[in-house]
Amino acid sequence: MLSGQSPRPVLDCLVNRLSVFWYLNGIRSSPRTSPRSDSGTVPFVGSNSTRRPLPGRQQLPREFIAQHQRLRIVTALAEETAQQGYRAVTVADIVRRAGIARNTFYENFSCKEECFLATQEFAMSAALERVVTAAGSLDDWPFRIRAGLGAFLDYVVEEPALARTCMVEALSAGTAAVRYYEESQQAFVSLFRLGRDVSPHGADLPETLEEAIIGGVFWILYQRLTISRPETIRELLPELVEFALTPYLGPEAAGEVATADAAGGVGAAPAG
Amino acid sequence: MEFNLSRSVSSVLVRDSSNQSVESPEYPPELARLPPGRHGLPREFVAHNQRERLIAGLAEAVAESGYAGTTIAHITRHAAVSRRTFYEHFSSKDECFVAAYDTVMAELRTRVGEAFDHEDEWPQAVRAGIAAMLEFLTAEPHLARLSMVEALVAGPVVVERYDSAIQSLVPYFQAGREGRSKEILAGLSPTTEEALVGGMVSLISRRIFADRTDELESLLPDLVEFTLTPYLGSAAAAKVARG
Repeated sequence: MLSGQSPRPVLDCLVNRLSVFWYLNGIRSSPRTSPRSDSGTVPFVGSNSTRRPLPGRQQLPREFIAQHQRLRIVTALAEETAQQGYRAVTVADIVRRAGIARNTFYENFSCKEECFLATQEFAMSAALERVVTAAGSLDDWPFRIRAGLGAFLDYVVEEPALARTCMVEALSAGTAAVRYYEESQQAFVSLFRLGRDVSPHGADLPETLEEAIIGGVFWILYQRLTISRPETIRELLPELVEFALTPYLGPEAAGEVATADAAGGVGAAPAG
Repeated sequence: MEFNLSRSVSSVLVRDSSNQSVESPEYPPELARLPPGRHGLPREFVAHNQRERLIAGLAEAVAESGYAGTTIAHITRHAAVSRRTFYEHFSSKDECFVAAYDTVMAELRTRVGEAFDHEDEWPQAVRAGIAAMLEFLTAEPHLARLSMVEALVAGPVVVERYDSAIQSLVPYFQAGREGRSKEILAGLSPTTEEALVGGMVSLISRRIFADRTDELESLLPDLVEFTLTPYLGSAAAAKVARG
């Protein structure tokens, strides 16, 4: 009933963008294998000691992270920003939390603003990677959107400080940050626009629809992040899916996708 | 140019403050609603009220230099008051900005509310309210920038007010639930209005950020269709959108 065109060109384009971000940042983001119980603090950050990594599957990523100063710095900026707002954060705050020398900061970044931009790019590319991976594993567009939205919400819940950087603080962090914020929104717009091909009235949809849907989803997440209730965010997935899909598919079909079980009950063919 | 901005700012602020001031024998009532810059009200018409002059001065300074680049000296220069006078009214630049922000928002709320209340039917009322908002932001691009761009860097107090201002639009849309069929209501969720408002504001804010306030009024049909569709269905919403 619901057949979707392959979004491979769009997804490939997004993955290419992410590769560029990773190259520029020199940071490899490794997918988490289990949800964090802490607030997102990497164990090595903030301590000068060379703590041994825990044995097990996560050993390599953590050791890698420990040696990766840029990641420690951006994580520290995200956490400081989450705590006191970007405007109040100083380089001194960042180096203290990252457990590095001031010189080390300036070897990596020339100023707070540059560090913010790197943090924003790191966070957004990590989020996008998850979205693209989740969406790419399914065939039907509506379920891609649901999977992508779910992955995005998961990211926000697991990394609230980093998510805040991109979604809450970015608009008050200068022109470059705003520009990057706009570009990120565009990436999501591309994913949503594919819905016009599967919609019975795709040609009649308002030109700014995707922008508005994404703006609405972001606003809701922003509210939850600013009142510090990130744990409530996952519950929102069904209604956000319904909100996003209704303009393309109508309320009944959108509702079916929103409430389908994880295996994708209605007419979907999840791969793998 | 500085004087024109002063007029446009002051025309908004003067209208707002205590509902008086533009009603005087030499200035007939119809001048109270003229668009900025055309009525030629002299600068001294900005209330001799120092607080208002400081608020207008802040708006001018921010229009010139952005929030970060504005100093108290800039503000007092534009307001033609002393630094000491500034501190009689405000303890900081941030506090002065909050006052300016509140003033602009009060005017915007009034216009949106009046336009909305003027209509008998809810869909047309929504259209009128959105149109009034876009009209104001288009007519006052510096105030639009002040309230939606500069506000975000003016400290946590303003950001909180900004968030509340957006959330305060939610009831206008919640009113649309009244009298709807069970099917329609089943398609709405607790966050529907929040999402609609967030989406609408993001479209508007984006254009203001990019200094493209001339495009704002062209958003009207899309915004009306987007916000009314969950309550009316897409066909009826599109009809209202086209006016």
